Amino acid sequence: MAEKRKVNRCTIAATQGRGSDVIVIGAGLSGLLAAVYAVKAGARVRLIATGWGQQIVSPGWISVCDRADDDVIAEVRGYAALHPEHPYALAGLDALVCALDLLQDIAEEIGEPVAMRPRDGHNLRLPTMLGALQTPLLAPAGIAAGDLTEVEEPLLIVGFAGWRDFYPALVAGNLSAQGIAARPLTVSLPAERGSWDDWPADLARRFDDSAFRSAVLRQVQPQVKGAARVGFPAVLGMARHAEVRREFEAGLGCPVFEIPTLPPSPAGARLSNGIRRWLLRQRARVQIGHAVLRGNVENGRCTGVEVGALGHANPFYADTFILATGGLYNGGIQSDEAGRLWEPIFGFPVSGPPSEGRADWYQGRLLAEGGHAIHGQTGLRVNAQMQPLDGDGAPVLENVFAAGHLLAGFNPLTDGCAEGVALATAYKAVSAALAARA
Amino acid sequence: MTTTSVDVLIIGGGATGAAALYDLARRGVRALLVDQLDFTTGTSGRYHGLLHSGGRYAGRDLETARECIVENRVLRRIVPFAVEDTGGLFVATPADPADFPARWLDGCAKAGIPAEPLSAAQARAAEPALTHDITAVYRVPDGSVDSFDMIHGFVAAARDLGGDAWIYQQVTALLREGDAVVGATLRDTRSGEARTVHAACVLNATGPWAGAVAQLAGLNVSVKFDRGAMIAMNTRWVNTIVNRLRPAADGDILVPVGTVCVLGTTSVHTSAPDDYRVEAWEVSKILAEADVVVPGIRNGRALRAWAGVRPLYEPPQAGHDEAQGREVARTFSVLDHAVLDGVRGLVTVTGGKLTTCRLMAEKAADAVCAQLGISAPCSTADEALPIPAATAGRYHRLDHRLHKLEHGEMPGDLICECEMITRPQLEAAIAAYGGQPVALDDLRRDLRLGMGPCQAGFCGVRAAGILQAVRGQASAEATAALGAFVDERFRGVRPLLWGHQLRQLYLDELIYRRTLGLDRLPDEGVSQATTAAPGEEAAHG
Repeated sequence: MAEKRKVNRCTIAATQGRGSDVIVIGAGLSGLLAAVYAVKAGARVRLIATGWGQQIVSPGWISVCDRADDDVIAEVRGYAALHPEHPYALAGLDALVCALDLLQDIAEEIGEPVAMRPRDGHNLRLPTMLGALQTPLLAPAGIAAGDLTEVEEPLLIVGFAGWRDFYPALVAGNLSAQGIAARPLTVSLPAERGSWDDWPADLARRFDDSAFRSAVLRQVQPQVKGAARVGFPAVLGMARHAEVRREFEAGLGCPVFEIPTLPPSPAGARLSNGIRRWLLRQRARVQIGHAVLRGNVENGRCTGVEVGALGHANPFYADTFILATGGLYNGGIQSDEAGRLWEPIFGFPVSGPPSEGRADWYQGRLLAEGGHAIHGQTGLRVNAQMQPLDGDGAPVLENVFAAGHLLAGFNPLTDGCAEGVALATAYKAVSAALAARA
Repeated sequence: MTTTSVDVLIIGGGATGAAALYDLARRGVRALLVDQLDFTTGTSGRYHGLLHSGGRYAGRDLETARECIVENRVLRRIVPFAVEDTGGLFVATPADPADFPARWLDGCAKAGIPAEPLSAAQARAAEPALTHDITAVYRVPDGSVDSFDMIHGFVAAARDLGGDAWIYQQVTALLREGDAVVGATLRDTRSGEARTVHAACVLNATGPWAGAVAQLAGLNVSVKFDRGAMIAMNTRWVNTIVNRLRPAADGDILVPVGTVCVLGTTSVHTSAPDDYRVEAWEVSKILAEADVVVPGIRNGRALRAWAGVRPLYEPPQAGHDEAQGREVARTFSVLDHAVLDGVRGLVTVTGGKLTTCRLMAEKAADAVCAQLGISAPCSTADEALPIPAATAGRYHRLDHRLHKLEHGEMPGDLICECEMITRPQLEAAIAAYGGQPVALDDLRRDLRLGMGPCQAGFCGVRAAGILQAVRGQASAEATAALGAFVDERFRGVRPLLWGHQLRQLYLDELIYRRTLGLDRLPDEGVSQATTAAPGEEAAHG
């Protein structure tokens, strides 16, 4: 079973960023980790974003190298050696290891711990809501508790009658077909008016209410009958998530785990809000819901960014800028019908699939093996300091550093490294930014 | 092998075949309709939804224009439940030939199409999204017609009168006895079961497949295929049909249908009746042209693209007695093979357009009845059809469903938010198939499942879970059903992936690959082998 464990020990000197003003643009995993790092390094930090990033729609786990059969970091090291253009190779393995470390620290600090397997540094094996198995390195503790590496059988998979986002028979059937004994159970939820479109977050908030969750727990208790573990959809509480899980484990007498459901993700929301509150407590500025319209550039440096407001744009100034606005999904890269791809804030060169127009962006099937060129080949090219490069391979601006899905060289949907790249490149971008300032 | 006998076997479950089934039923003729797929899966389901006023043809083809305005009024009368009276505008811009409006107006007058001149200001007051560069604009009685509703209406009314229809029945052979066609053999494409149908006459109403079916009797009917692409935008940019007032060209119409706006169309000669490709230049062309009359629309969100194949009939060469063999010229063609080829028992109807389907059915049924010695006249033009029970339950306006949801009149949780489909509705639709196989794509045609902006990203897995629960299926089977649906939905959106819709499909791919791990289950591969998707949605995204 998964538990908390550190990958390594990295320390951030609180003097590293002292006296430095850092603006982080974007509030996905990259932007949040960059802001946390910069704050811990003593910088004055302002985080500006149009909205939360992809963690809100993702299952919640941290994919570093899903295909690794044993030591994940060793696998990444081998891969990076062979693929010098991959963001892992550019950011370096130390950045990845330290970034994972920092994520675990901050997650622990805000009370939303992420866990990995004890001792071996191998990937988890987690069931999906379709009963498939995913293999990320880390996951929020409740989800990581579903690790099936050493299967204790049988599993009991619990769903809720009349709730559209989880089908326990579908999970149990596909798990059983893969040799993992599981049986489904459907219990009812206390009725509530107008609950015909409950999202996962709606349901998670209802689990914060102890009368509500007791009514659910009472129905499951008599059905546990020898189950080694009980799985629920990942809606076990929002503000009181840890308490709900503890209560269910005590009440059912066995470990309880969560299976991520359709977006939006309560785990992603808890992490985002937790870090936002932490940043505010550290006196960082956080502006969510604000669009950075453009960067102002003088003599190869960014002097400030203009942020959309009613009727006019407000300028904000800093020494260094971390651009973590996401890829094609989150708007860090835009596309149009003619097949153009562009980065809207600074106009950094965007590399994309080699063909003219959009014709080769997608294969014939959505789930085609290897993924689609548009998501595997699009992004900013950067150097080892995470500085976006021009066509000649030279940095465009000396004080702008890019991180996350904005970068070229990997496919976040198929390469099994989406969160790992987001974290490693954010870590490297901040450390390069602060070093350049020093 | 089971054997059935009827008076007339109609091949083709599109608008013409369904109207012919109804027509013959009213004449007291016992007819059976069969289709290789579901109803409305060919050309009738792959169009933009326009109920022509005839204005489209007033510049060049007066006979078609006349037929359209007459049949426009007939369909409003007999299938009002399938028609939305949007009205239509013909809009000329500085980019269009200046002498065309006068010529067009003259054509409208000759064809009997009322064309009311408006000022540019009046037109924009009615449709604020229109361009400011209007040089001439007229209002005509265009409308939109839901071909699903209309065809189900014809079939249901015919069944009430003793007619019948079987779907997923492929015609494997036409039975010949000497110089006569006397029926057909069928194969159920889902169960594989073979059947024989004896019929005194066979009506070939297969549109672009007319040549292939005639070939089964050893006859040559030369149909050319003309492909046209359409794009559904995610909102009703206009509430009135907007036509370009210019000689017919690519991309000259916008049709508001249901919650979307369909832009059409192109015209590409092709070599197959089911060539449903949409090429990149067609998307660019249609968007650019629509943008001339409704500026900004090209930057809107395109939901889905599809193509239909128009059957263009080529008349037989000199030597045949055309006047008798082809009762109505040019617009559509009824071929009496007894007259044309000396083979009794077979009539082919092809060409034409959805607006004139009832007239085509009338003329085809006249030819069939002449062969059978039946003198009962056509009586389909006046009496309104009953609203089919299926339509009342299954088809909807989106705002009606929202009203019901908000007032507690539609119980259950919402499975498809885009189209507002609840769990009980989905369960009932699945149950309606009894023991028959049912694909998620069948449920799409029944309920509009997965036809909104997310293109099944959210409702797909929910529907698979419910299908499994209702049917007591293995998870693998439900998973394969989901995989097939993902493939089917992707086909229609692939030509439109940029900007917002590209972001949507990223989210869908994220859900399928990461949240669900659909591509990690061995059974997902089954989806490639399951049935090729039958038709597209008529005019709806």
